[in-house]
Amino acid sequence: MADSFTLPLRPNLEKSDRPDTLPVEIAQINEQWGGFRDVNEEVLLAKLAEEEERGGPLDSDEDGEKKEMDTTERREELYKRRAEITQFAMASHMETMFALDFISLLLSKHAPRQAETSMSAFLKQVAPIGSLNSEVVHPPPKPDSVNKDISTVSRGWRIQNFNSAANKLLGAASRLEKEVEAETKYWNSVLAIKDKGWKVCRLPRERQSLGVQYGFMEATPAFRDRGLASLRRGNDGSLVLDQGLVPSGLRFVRVRVKRGSRITGCTKPPGVSSNDAESIEQRILQARDSVFEDELFHELVREARAMASCGVTTRQNLIQIPAADGLEILLDLVDINDESLLAEQESSQDDVVLANGVAHSIRILLSFAHRQNLHRRTQVPLPLTPKRRPNPEYHLLRPALAYLQHISEARYLESFVHDIVSTLRSSGFQIPEFTAQMFSNWKLPHQHSSPSALEGLVASSLKPIESVFQGNLLAPNSSFTVRMRTNMSFPPFGTHYDVSFNLPSVPDLKSPGNLSLREEVEAAVSHLLLLDVVMKIASTQTDEEKKTEPDTPVKRWWDPIYPHMGELLLAYDHPEKHKKLRIVLSRDQLSLETCLVRCIDGIGIGAAEGRSQHTETKTWKLQQSPGIPNQQSSAMDFVTAEAST
Amino acid sequence: MHELLLFASVPTHQHAELLQQLAGLTAMQPRHCFERRLIFKAYRKPGVANARVGASQDLQSGDLQRVNKMLNGGMFYTQVVGPIQSADFADAGVTDAAANASANANPNPVNPDPDTDTKMDGMDSESSIPRSAYDFDQQSWQLEFRDIPEAGTRSAVTSRVMATAALPRGDIVPSMNAWGYSFVTEYLVEGDMFIHNDIVLNLHRVLHYPTNPGEENQPRRQMPTLQQMAPLEKSGSYVLQASMMVQDGSNQETMKTASQHLFGLREQLKSAVRLEMADRLSLDTRVK
Repeated sequence: MADSFTLPLRPNLEKSDRPDTLPVEIAQINEQWGGFRDVNEEVLLAKLAEEEERGGPLDSDEDGEKKEMDTTERREELYKRRAEITQFAMASHMETMFALDFISLLLSKHAPRQAETSMSAFLKQVAPIGSLNSEVVHPPPKPDSVNKDISTVSRGWRIQNFNSAANKLLGAASRLEKEVEAETKYWNSVLAIKDKGWKVCRLPRERQSLGVQYGFMEATPAFRDRGLASLRRGNDGSLVLDQGLVPSGLRFVRVRVKRGSRITGCTKPPGVSSNDAESIEQRILQARDSVFEDELFHELVREARAMASCGVTTRQNLIQIPAADGLEILLDLVDINDESLLAEQESSQDDVVLANGVAHSIRILLSFAHRQNLHRRTQVPLPLTPKRRPNPEYHLLRPALAYLQHISEARYLESFVHDIVSTLRSSGFQIPEFTAQMFSNWKLPHQHSSPSALEGLVASSLKPIESVFQGNLLAPNSSFTVRMRTNMSFPPFGTHYDVSFNLPSVPDLKSPGNLSLREEVEAAVSHLLLLDVVMKIASTQTDEEKKTEPDTPVKRWWDPIYPHMGELLLAYDHPEKHKKLRIVLSRDQLSLETCLVRCIDGIGIGAAEGRSQHTETKTWKLQQSPGIPNQQSSAMDFVTAEAST
Repeated sequence: MHELLLFASVPTHQHAELLQQLAGLTAMQPRHCFERRLIFKAYRKPGVANARVGASQDLQSGDLQRVNKMLNGGMFYTQVVGPIQSADFADAGVTDAAANASANANPNPVNPDPDTDTKMDGMDSESSIPRSAYDFDQQSWQLEFRDIPEAGTRSAVTSRVMATAALPRGDIVPSMNAWGYSFVTEYLVEGDMFIHNDIVLNLHRVLHYPTNPGEENQPRRQMPTLQQMAPLEKSGSYVLQASMMVQDGSNQETMKTASQHLFGLREQLKSAVRLEMADRLSLDTRVK
């Protein structure tokens, strides 16, 4: 458009060759003022001032009134205006009807039938048909001056009309130019959005406007439909993201960790890059994030309600999950700009990490649930039935809860086994170290990047979590295994332990089977180790016997009479001198006690065993924190010493 | 189970465009699939058609009726359908070992383009027997029974009784013979599948095997190359089939819902293709 030409739209106004002639002006002044006698400067000024005064305040009064007008006045004004309008309309209607009657009456002379149809009833009554006639009257020829006036006036009218037409066209042109500018700006920003990879489409309900899809196709329908906002054009062509009635505030799901009554960890709101916070891209991202967070919280609440049996409670905007060992996870949806969030809390680094971990895991799991929805949606559907298919809750909290519970239980069990093994070691038993294999069923895929491998990784976290503790015992070829698995996805819920062992020296021992309390596992493991210790003491003699020559007299040695009670007996020829050794093993204590008993058979336990009245009781005890070397002799030395006396 | 259907014919030039439109509508990528379809025809074995032989008086009259109906009722053509992969087609460009390796590495190739290796095999491979990783003995099969569409329905969709059942793998002809079916012929269906809510959209065409003498009376144990297959419709046009399954055909409510879903889809696709019900007698599966 560089070589644009300008098209004159305004009529070419002819400058009148001369200003009004003096006689005309004199005549005008005479007409207006009644002669030159009264006209002087003061009078004219006064007149001007008066007009100004009358015109100026009037306008301002009106303005003031408009401002002050309240609703009732407005309404009255409205009614008045409406009445005026109707009045005008009635009047014009009446006039039109009169005109119609008049024309009809006039025509009725020549075409009575036709004219009759458009005549009013009143006219038909009062005037007979065809009572009015018309004739063409030739007006007398007008004088030249009148003709000249008429042509001047019509010329003036024409010029005026041309002027207004030109004004309108020019106005339209400038408006169009502005529109074009605005549209260019608008479409450029739409293209910029499209180039960034957002899906731009027509709105389904409003076919003429554009929308951008930022939501998640696989989300719950309510949230999927919220993922579409229209791209409106502002007055100046700027792009406006119109999300409809959705509140625009940015919110996020906050995860807090509570120990006892104190909040010890909390997730930070996601950072908003402030430098281009107002760019359209940023706003689309914000809208997407807030849809995601809203959906996340919606699904969390849905799942939390289903998990009420696990002690999860929901308030209007808060989910409380008791995890394990006084640990509580609080989830709520909060505004990102809420100042109260920034209040200082005493927080421990571990719990902040924990809170962040939970926050990330629920988001990853929601995305995973979306993927699963896609998989499910693209499978061949089941046949249609009248029953509605249930819409199961996503697994968001349950894996997180299972992990927390599992790790707490596993740590407890690990510390217990560690303690009891060190107790035995400090007592002089050479028990081999145990191995703990945490999360043994979680395996990292070989290819980290392929989508199916990642999905497999997340899917494995939805399965029951398993950890294995394994250790060898003192007796050769004997071992124990504790396999614990935690499951929150389907019943039976909670952590279950499977204790298995291989202890050939005690042949009739049966596995305790599936246990579900940590105390039971504790008891089972310590019982197993007690049996092992008993068997170790009993077998030491046989080992020694093999080494010594067969001709030496057989030494007396401990015989495990009640291994399950931890009792061994040193039989003697004299019935009064049977010696009994009782072993008690607990987490941090091993005690050996010997006494003389009379009766050894039957159910000779405790008070019924008939302890000798006059014999002294000897005990050996380990009661120290593991790590400090024992000052006393080892338990085996005590046993050997007791056997030889 | 009932099946409700609408069909549309899609000319070749519209095929690519419609694929894109359907992908947009259903928000999923097309799933390219090949299906071997074997046609079996029921025949009456001599001597078993009469239930009144011997001491048939012991039978309850209801049971007797049912047995008679089973033995003397209408007989149908049925199809045995086996899904195959594009890697199963013989391809002279792939040696046996390579084909095996690729089949092991990638047992489920996602939407393989059948035209990528058009130029790789020269036409001189006609003489040598093309090999592929296709193992006929591991081919899975499914029996598909389709009744003749119901007559006199008010609604403008094709609806018919259907049933599917899984069959053992491998050579299926002996089992089918034992059940009273004889092998007639086979063909291949190539197409793309989309899922739209409860509707399965199948954009497919029928391919014929190259005719080699002596192979007509039993299913092929080797697949020819894809390029050797000739479309049944010479122009290469496709058929779009929209189908919906209903568990209980006697439930008017669900049948109505299903046909309304199909009509909704027909409205949505109105500007692209015209979905309509098929001629009833062209879908006749009865043995005459």
